Amino acid sequence: MAKKLMKGNEAIGEAAIQAGCRNYFAYPITPQSEVAEYLSRRMPEVQGHFVQAESELGAANMVFGAAATGELVFTTSSSPGVSLMSETISYIAGAQLPAVFVNIVRGGPGLGGILPAQSDYFQATKGGGHGDYRLLVLAPATVQEAVDLTMLAFQLAFKYRNPVMILGDGMIGQMMEPVEFKPPPPAADLPSVETWATTGAKGRKCNIAHSLFLDPEALEKNNHVLAAKYKVWQKDEIRFATYNLDNNPRLLIVAYGTMARICSTAIDELKQKGVEVGLIRPITLYPFPAAAILQHAKKIGKVISVEMSMGQMVEDVQAAVGHDIHVGFFGRAGGIIPSPDEVVQALEAELRA
Amino acid sequence: MERLGLSAATRAVILVGDYGSGKTEIAVNLALQLAATQAYPIAIADLDLVNPYFRCREAVEPLERVGIRVVIPQGGHRFADLPILLPQVKGLLQNDDQLAVLDVGGDEVGSRVLAGLVKAYRQGVHELWFVVNANRPFNDTVQGCAATISRIEGASGLRVTGLVPNTHLMQETTAEMVGEGIVLADQVAERLSVPVRMVAVMESMADAVRAHHPVLRMRRLMVPPWLRRDTVQLGRTGPEAFRLRST
Repeated sequence: MAKKLMKGNEAIGEAAIQAGCRNYFAYPITPQSEVAEYLSRRMPEVQGHFVQAESELGAANMVFGAAATGELVFTTSSSPGVSLMSETISYIAGAQLPAVFVNIVRGGPGLGGILPAQSDYFQATKGGGHGDYRLLVLAPATVQEAVDLTMLAFQLAFKYRNPVMILGDGMIGQMMEPVEFKPPPPAADLPSVETWATTGAKGRKCNIAHSLFLDPEALEKNNHVLAAKYKVWQKDEIRFATYNLDNNPRLLIVAYGTMARICSTAIDELKQKGVEVGLIRPITLYPFPAAAILQHAKKIGKVISVEMSMGQMVEDVQAAVGHDIHVGFFGRAGGIIPSPDEVVQALEAELRA
Repeated sequence: MERLGLSAATRAVILVGDYGSGKTEIAVNLALQLAATQAYPIAIADLDLVNPYFRCREAVEPLERVGIRVVIPQGGHRFADLPILLPQVKGLLQNDDQLAVLDVGGDEVGSRVLAGLVKAYRQGVHELWFVVNANRPFNDTVQGCAATISRIEGASGLRVTGLVPNTHLMQETTAEMVGEGIVLADQVAERLSVPVRMVAVMESMADAVRAHHPVLRMRRLMVPPWLRRDTVQLGRTGPEAFRLRST
């Protein structure tokens, strides 16, 4: 397939189709409505299903139902919509079902605005819904990466029978970049769903998808099963990228998504002034690349978290490096994307501090 | 004027096309180049009611600096995703002392706004140009383009009067690709009996493109925040700098 120029939202929709997903349930909200718009045109072409639900609650519960049957299924929304979906995300995690949730984040809290933000980091990585559960959270920085990570998300959801979230700021959904679709691993590579999916019980024991365990021993056993999966993620699923770490930087930036791209421009500009700054860009926000951050923070000695929020990931960065190393913070909120100049000034201030 | 594919009678160019065809970039560049001819006062209107980001209201400052009148929602509504059609837009079509460029939202959904302007629209004085990027989904074939045009005409109640090929892949655009886009536009032109009015191409590539139509040489003005206007360098911090390097 030749390269196409696609909006992030469209590209995410196409990536889901290329990954083999034929079930999409959603409710429109800016800045991700183009996913629904694109799939309303594309799903019928591949004999897939798109149902525009009556609300995000409806959409999330349709995802729950489809996931229980062992089908590939996903939904997309933006911040307030994901808040509405959070109850069901907890149910799906509790019932150990595979599903992909995409959050194209806008400024909050409340209805907030429609411009890009990274203020749903806590919601994505620390819960949002209730109970002892985790999401595997993937944060793309380019439209191509949004494609690759969406395709990966389905693989991971089935591998771990757990909801996976794509967390992109509004810019990732709205901007256009050239993309290509690499052939996905064949659907046959997905693990068998026979032991848990509700595909019709004829000739075998009945499979039941549920998150209700009234017996405390049984519930705690389920908690342990989930915890064991999350432990494996810490070993096998941590992903991150680095920029300019090989030139003895004097400051380590931790930034993800669109913010990481602005930081890399700022790094290039500081380099021209003779100042070296390095970047670690978490691709998985959960599991968090804490060990890599600690390793480089020890060498460099100074760390700053740069975010399009009032300061959320900074808490995980601080926890990663411990309290002997100071972690600075720079952020803009409300839908404002800081300019490379603003970031340069913030980095220079941090270097002087 | 003729260099830019316009006749002396033209008083408004309305740009339509699919998402990502490059309407906004063309609208802003066209307005700037028309302003440079000093033939008429120039106005530009942002009628993009469907796309929340990358609208020409984001390029207000460089436009106003050269005396172009910019018609956009004011105050808090500037950042809204609400369908606001300003009364001034109709005024633009009624005023023949100036030349207006109207940037309309993507697809037939964005073009629906034009239905409210049908009465003010005058054949021969106002132009409706379809911008096409052959690298966009659904617009890479004659059939696809014809279907998009038909949907836009259906939603707006107006007939497309010209085609503007603008085939690109951002930093990965090649002259060959631009040429293929012109061929496609010529085929669409033949099938629908609508002329190609001009070819839009980036300044840096314009000399390498062989076009038998007027050429709009463009500078990239609508840029993401990690690139700077006027200093966009090919491949500097584009996606290629961000290949997955997972560990």
